[in-house]
Amino acid sequence: MTTALHIDDLRKSFGGQCVLDGVSFEVTPGSIMGLLGPNGAGKSTLIRSIMGIVTPDAGTITLGGKPWTREGVQRIGYLPEERGLYKDMKVGEQAVYFAQLKGMEKKEAVKSLRHWFERLEVEGWWDRKVSDISKGMAQKIQFICTVVQGPELLILDEPLSGFDPINARRIIDVVRSLAAEGTSIMLSTHDMPSVERLCDHVVLLNRGRVVLQGASDQLREEGWNGSQEVVFRGNDLTFTNALGAWAHLDGIEPTPQEGVRKAAIRLREGVAPGSVINALQGQVELQEFIKVRPTMERLFIDAVEKEKSIPESTVS
Amino acid sequence: MKVNLIGTVIYREWRTRVVKRSFLLGTLLTPILSVGLIIGSVLLTDGVEVNHLVLVEDAPGLITRLDAASGQYVPRCPGCFPERDNLEYRFVREAPEDSVWLAQGHTVLVEYDESVLQNAAGYMVYEKSPGVQAKRQIERDLSRAMEHARVMESTELDWSAYQRLKLDLTLFDRESTEEGREEGGGDEVRGLIGFLFSAVLFMVLAVYGGMIMRSVVEEKSNHVVEVLVAAVRPEALLLGKVIGMGCVALTQIIAWSLLSTLTFGIFQSLFDAGWVNGSMAAGTEDIPVDLLTVMAQNEALSVLLDIQWGVMILGTVAFFIGGFLLYGSLYAAVGASVQSEQEGQGMVVAIILPLMFAYMAGGGAMSNPDVPVFTWLGYIPLTAPVIMLVRLAIGVAWWEAVLSWCLLILTARLVLGLAGRIYRNGVLHDGGKSVWKLWIQWMRKDER
Repeated sequence: MTTALHIDDLRKSFGGQCVLDGVSFEVTPGSIMGLLGPNGAGKSTLIRSIMGIVTPDAGTITLGGKPWTREGVQRIGYLPEERGLYKDMKVGEQAVYFAQLKGMEKKEAVKSLRHWFERLEVEGWWDRKVSDISKGMAQKIQFICTVVQGPELLILDEPLSGFDPINARRIIDVVRSLAAEGTSIMLSTHDMPSVERLCDHVVLLNRGRVVLQGASDQLREEGWNGSQEVVFRGNDLTFTNALGAWAHLDGIEPTPQEGVRKAAIRLREGVAPGSVINALQGQVELQEFIKVRPTMERLFIDAVEKEKSIPESTVS
Repeated sequence: MKVNLIGTVIYREWRTRVVKRSFLLGTLLTPILSVGLIIGSVLLTDGVEVNHLVLVEDAPGLITRLDAASGQYVPRCPGCFPERDNLEYRFVREAPEDSVWLAQGHTVLVEYDESVLQNAAGYMVYEKSPGVQAKRQIERDLSRAMEHARVMESTELDWSAYQRLKLDLTLFDRESTEEGREEGGGDEVRGLIGFLFSAVLFMVLAVYGGMIMRSVVEEKSNHVVEVLVAAVRPEALLLGKVIGMGCVALTQIIAWSLLSTLTFGIFQSLFDAGWVNGSMAAGTEDIPVDLLTVMAQNEALSVLLDIQWGVMILGTVAFFIGGFLLYGSLYAAVGASVQSEQEGQGMVVAIILPLMFAYMAGGGAMSNPDVPVFTWLGYIPLTAPVIMLVRLAIGVAWWEAVLSWCLLILTARLVLGLAGRIYRNGVLHDGGKSVWKLWIQWMRKDER
């Protein structure tokens, strides 16, 4: 299958400092990929390389199965983290300008923009000056300018910053529907809940290198350390004794329901969940036995902490 | 596609500045005010002249005698004091106190003693200065009267013989050309005209160049720039900005030219039809004079009639295009390299220095256009836009002008390329190191 974006062994240094160190990954059509990484990991340089703002020192970028060209970049919708609008221009006029820069004819741009203004409920702001609108409203306009030409690939850098929860939810819905319609999306963010809600795949960058990548579910599965949540009715001591050598007990706490307790346990290595369930049954009244997979935030922190322990000289 | 994108950038730069109340107001008011100033000066100089009654205290009795019939002192040489609209003379041997002669309606008192024939100096006393023109006239009249007195003192000459012998040499200019001799001269006036054009060009380059810099700094500070450079090659974006702003300047210049011509035409019609006071005042009581004649008679205003408008406008537009591409791209590069307008001002001084030098040198070229240094400055692209306009006004071989322009355009193309590299690297740069050092680094980078 042709990939929407394929990055292979991308390298970039600034003044002798390595910012991208052999980065490779791909974005499949219609998927939402989360690009994660701490500040200074190289995310912006990577995105700017894809957009042609920065020229990489080595490596290849393939867009829609074809080698990188300026014309190919025209088919990418890009919402940078540092974004803004001309304050002295009218909203509609400005949106048309940005659409034209993406190669759209004026008539076509106006038609598409009218549709998007309606969809995001900002149609009344077409003739207003940017200086007269709120920050959240400006964010919506910038988002519209990014998606107006119906891009094949959408690169969104912190798309939810500046939005209230209601409008953030609206943008998430739009992003989901665009992916469902076949648009490939690369989402760079520090907002882990939105990564969990949206991303099929993630790539974690640290110190210019990919330290983790794969399907979100798979990564969380691989990162599972045996954690389980157990809800039971019974005595805490009986429960602890029943666990025996099968699992570690991390803690027990009451629930709103009288006599019902919730315990966090970690299965010992090689122990199947069924063995623990068998051991507990008959000792306590078992109500729930849920597998607790790590959050993306946990995976992110663990991966970065692990990298920190490696001396910098051995990294690059 | 690329051309379309540059066109889109040019159109936005042009439209957002031209379709603006302040621009329209400035464009409309400036020619009206300039023509108003010219009209005002016509009316002031020709229509509303101040009359002076000059009291001459001829204590030594050098230039006056007592007229027995009238009992008044009159000039020995009546022809030395021709009848003028703005000057009238009275003569006395001894002037009264200042308050008295002023109360008598005199505005100026001239006094001297016997030494005047040796020193050629006296005093002019007044409550309010009569002005340069009236002072010159008084000096000229009295000088002639003194000359007359000297001649009369001489036993060997009489006044009429002296006047016959006196010679005022006038040299008329003739240029030797391949076709023979042609009427020449007027270089100073033409040089002045060229200097005026170059001053306008200098001003436009500086003002609109500054606007390019501000625009780039603004795009950096409001974070629009990253979206822009992702869509358009930075070099193309820079070219679009420079051409767009150049179009704004040209729009203003063309609008000013048209409106000035229109306003002047309307005033000329009104003046010639006698609807303006000055037209009657300028001529005699019976014969009204048209505006062009009034201007031609006025030393300062006659300059305007000597302008070779066609050549100068064509030259100005051509050198403006080259000069704006050159300096505009440098201004854009400065804007891309700094974080604020204030920071940019320091760099702008260095950038604009050659142009300022050319502007100052233009003053010299005005009177000595063929001095080798000015010829060379006319070929050096950084100074050519200003210097060549002065040389063009005075008269320069066509091939010199074309060569100078071609060199300017070639250099502008080269600088555009280098400025594009600076712009590409600088526009997303957050400051820090010495900007000049960074410029050298960035200019070496040839990216995709």
